[in-house]
Amino acid sequence: MKRIVFINPTAQKIYDDYFARVSRCISILNDDDQLEVLMELNSHIYEATHMAPPAIEVDTLVNTLEKLGAPEVVLQPAVAYKKIQQAGRSFNPVHIFQALYLNISNGIGFLVMGIIYLLTFAFGSLAVVKIISPEHTGLFLRGDRFFAFGYTHDLPSGLVELLGNWFIVTVIMLMGIFYFLNTLLFRLLKKN
Amino acid sequence: MYYICCMNNEFVQNWFSQVKKGTLSYIILIILDEKEYYGYELVQEIKIHTTLEVAEGTLYPLLNRLKTEGIVDSKWVEQESGIPRKYYTLSANGKATLTEMKKIWSALNTAINKIEK
Repeated sequence: MKRIVFINPTAQKIYDDYFARVSRCISILNDDDQLEVLMELNSHIYEATHMAPPAIEVDTLVNTLEKLGAPEVVLQPAVAYKKIQQAGRSFNPVHIFQALYLNISNGIGFLVMGIIYLLTFAFGSLAVVKIISPEHTGLFLRGDRFFAFGYTHDLPSGLVELLGNWFIVTVIMLMGIFYFLNTLLFRLLKKN
Repeated sequence: MYYICCMNNEFVQNWFSQVKKGTLSYIILIILDEKEYYGYELVQEIKIHTTLEVAEGTLYPLLNRLKTEGIVDSKWVEQESGIPRKYYTLSANGKATLTEMKKIWSALNTAINKIEK
């Protein structure tokens, strides 16, 4: 691929940096697909900038790249899609795992959210369980080693419960923290 | 009782974003139905005819997807500058797809107009 040559060295640096980022983003694709993406972006940048006088070369290039968007964001769905096609064609397990990894990120996000919600609910329940069964619920140590946090039916000798009624405060605080974390994660996924 | 009405801006923005996503491929097909365009030229054409602010980088993945679906064809054309242009045209399958999309769009438009009256 013929690279664009800019008169202004700053413009050249910006262009080279942008293409280095693009190359990193698409390195997972096969050589033909990589070349296609590079040529397409190169052609777009050339058409948008080649008429610009040298005095405004940097501004024109920056403006063009801003409109194209950050390669890490803009190219991610395209790379994921191309990887699926490649995996479907080749049946190569490496490609299949790469395609799964690229496409499952949102799925993993929602799975983590589900687990955090479960923990939030569990901490809330522990506050109630502590009231119903105070001897069996709490933060238990055996000697100087951790034994259990929560409800335990088994109470061997030498077991010490550390928190007492502060256990209820602790689990309610944990519930609040996990709920806050989940809301943040949800907003992040929604934004993406 | 007084009601203070205000637009739910976030909801409208999300809705508009979905509408943009849904209609961009339709707009591209309509433009390509006239003649062939290269990528940058197509972006300019979309800007001239619509007020949609599209992240230009998202257009190429969409065009590639349309090509994979057999809706558009593309070819690289060498230029004097040494940097080729990739021209996109509507395939026969694309023309049939566009005709169907126009029917759906028209039916949707009619339905909304009826409801709004």
